[in-house]
Amino acid sequence: MTRATEPGFLQPRALLFFAAAAVVLNGFFPVLWILFTSLKTEAELAAKPITWWPHVPTLQNYVQAFTDQPLLRYLGNSAAVALLSTAVSLVVSAMAAYAIARLNLKHRQLILTAIVASSMFPLVTLLVPIFETMRSLGWLNTYAALVVPYTVLNLPICTLVLVSFFQSIPKDLENAAMIDGCTRLGALWRVVLPLAAPGVFTAGILAFVNAWDEFLLALSLNSSASMRTLPVGITLYQGEFSFPWPIISAALIVAIVPVAVLIALFQERVVGGLTQGGLKG
Amino acid sequence: MTDQPRPTWGEQLRDPSEKTLAVLLLAPAALLLLLIVVYPIGRLISNSFFDLRLSGRKGPRFVGLENYALVLQDIDFWNAAGNTVLITVITVPGALVVGLGLALLANLPFKRQWPVRLALLLPWALPLSFAGLIFAWFFHTDYGVVNDVARRLGLSSAEQPTLWLLHPWLAMTAICLTIIWKTSSFMALILLAGLQMIPKSLYEAAEVDGASRWQQFWQITIPMLMPSIIVALIFRTITALQTFDIPFTMTRGGPGNSTETLAMLIHKTTIDYLDVGYGSTLAVCMFIISLCITSLYIRHVGKTA
Repeated sequence: MTRATEPGFLQPRALLFFAAAAVVLNGFFPVLWILFTSLKTEAELAAKPITWWPHVPTLQNYVQAFTDQPLLRYLGNSAAVALLSTAVSLVVSAMAAYAIARLNLKHRQLILTAIVASSMFPLVTLLVPIFETMRSLGWLNTYAALVVPYTVLNLPICTLVLVSFFQSIPKDLENAAMIDGCTRLGALWRVVLPLAAPGVFTAGILAFVNAWDEFLLALSLNSSASMRTLPVGITLYQGEFSFPWPIISAALIVAIVPVAVLIALFQERVVGGLTQGGLKG
Repeated sequence: MTDQPRPTWGEQLRDPSEKTLAVLLLAPAALLLLLIVVYPIGRLISNSFFDLRLSGRKGPRFVGLENYALVLQDIDFWNAAGNTVLITVITVPGALVVGLGLALLANLPFKRQWPVRLALLLPWALPLSFAGLIFAWFFHTDYGVVNDVARRLGLSSAEQPTLWLLHPWLAMTAICLTIIWKTSSFMALILLAGLQMIPKSLYEAAEVDGASRWQQFWQITIPMLMPSIIVALIFRTITALQTFDIPFTMTRGGPGNSTETLAMLIHKTTIDYLDVGYGSTLAVCMFIISLCITSLYIRHVGKTA
């Protein structure tokens, strides 16, 4: 249509190529650079001027990443905390979202706003009282210390995503099930939840990534070496005077791969969930 | 008294009335919010009136507004507040411009959507602390890629590389660039969704009327995108005011405390020095600052909506 009028340097194909290259390079280059660094030998790393591509790739840094620090333990901690808090977030927000979307509530909008507004509250300012609470509950350096706050952190986005999914399911299906003898909870369990499964899944990925990435609470509440999550553990690879960059790079790659695979597999859902939560918030 | 038998607890649980069901379903969320948001807010405010140090043997001592008076005279507080506002003022518009650029590029009709989409998702999914570590390595004096590129372009020499993270202003620049890189892709995702909702017919009509691309951008794209832009800006501002991870991993607030943010000062005061009373006062002040700035936005949204 408009193609014929476009000036020469905006030739669609060339333009498309440069546009894609710019976006892809912007997104991938930092991670690629870390990947290159992680494959370099100590000698190559000390060379000046620096090399870009690793000339003699080595996996030695990966071995050391696992032996210098309990990286496997950090991975396990991160996975446990992220999975547990995702599960709890989903249950709690699915319950709240169903009530908001389906029940005859007087202050429906107010309740949803209250839940979303809680995410607007700067978490840092609550660090002190949360720290005190966890301390008096004896939860410091346990999974619970992180799972509970992460659930709250994820409540708004999960609730928003699930409310809109529940609203998209025709009420008649539920009514039909109830006429057939299902109780309300039975209808929720057998009819609504299975239909909302894509929404539950989307909310779950977002919750998982949020929990996997969190740093400040993990740093403050679970400081003992055996309870650190990945972001905290990797930051502490650095010694007093040295920064073992190739080893840190290797550990970073190990930590990035699980989430990168997750979002690569479910891109469309993640984007959908993010923009849904974002545009409604 | 009525003769009708009231449903037993068991029956009510199996098939609860609408009202009972609402209470049951909302209770867990409400309890969690009480434990992690509402109770801490109360606790925070009450702590801020006490001299309360977990390191000493003395119990809490009520000091009234003394902590607040101390905050107002605290050079470290004003330094951290200034840095936080500076970071917000630079990185929020910065991320908006870069994010809008990325969104416009990503909105082009590619045959394969996934490489571009994944390139926007990856920085979003990366923990902030990892972005900080990666960019600290980028800006490394001797082995960083930034100085290497500068040397290749003849902007600096190998003998006198730029000391990015060891100079107050350069460190702040490096931190802001890192934050912009990390946050612009989330902006781009939100704006891209907004771009895709603009009806093509608007552009076709403008084309017929003889509007240039530039005019189309300012007359159609930007106004139609405004709701997404405002949402993205609000989200970004709220998170920018809480900046912690990236300066913490890149500079630990240094050199000196030239890149220390409010969040870092609160963390240091309470978690490292265990001074809960003063830390709570700092947190209340930080909350007031973020409330002022976000309410400005909310008011702006109210006007445009």
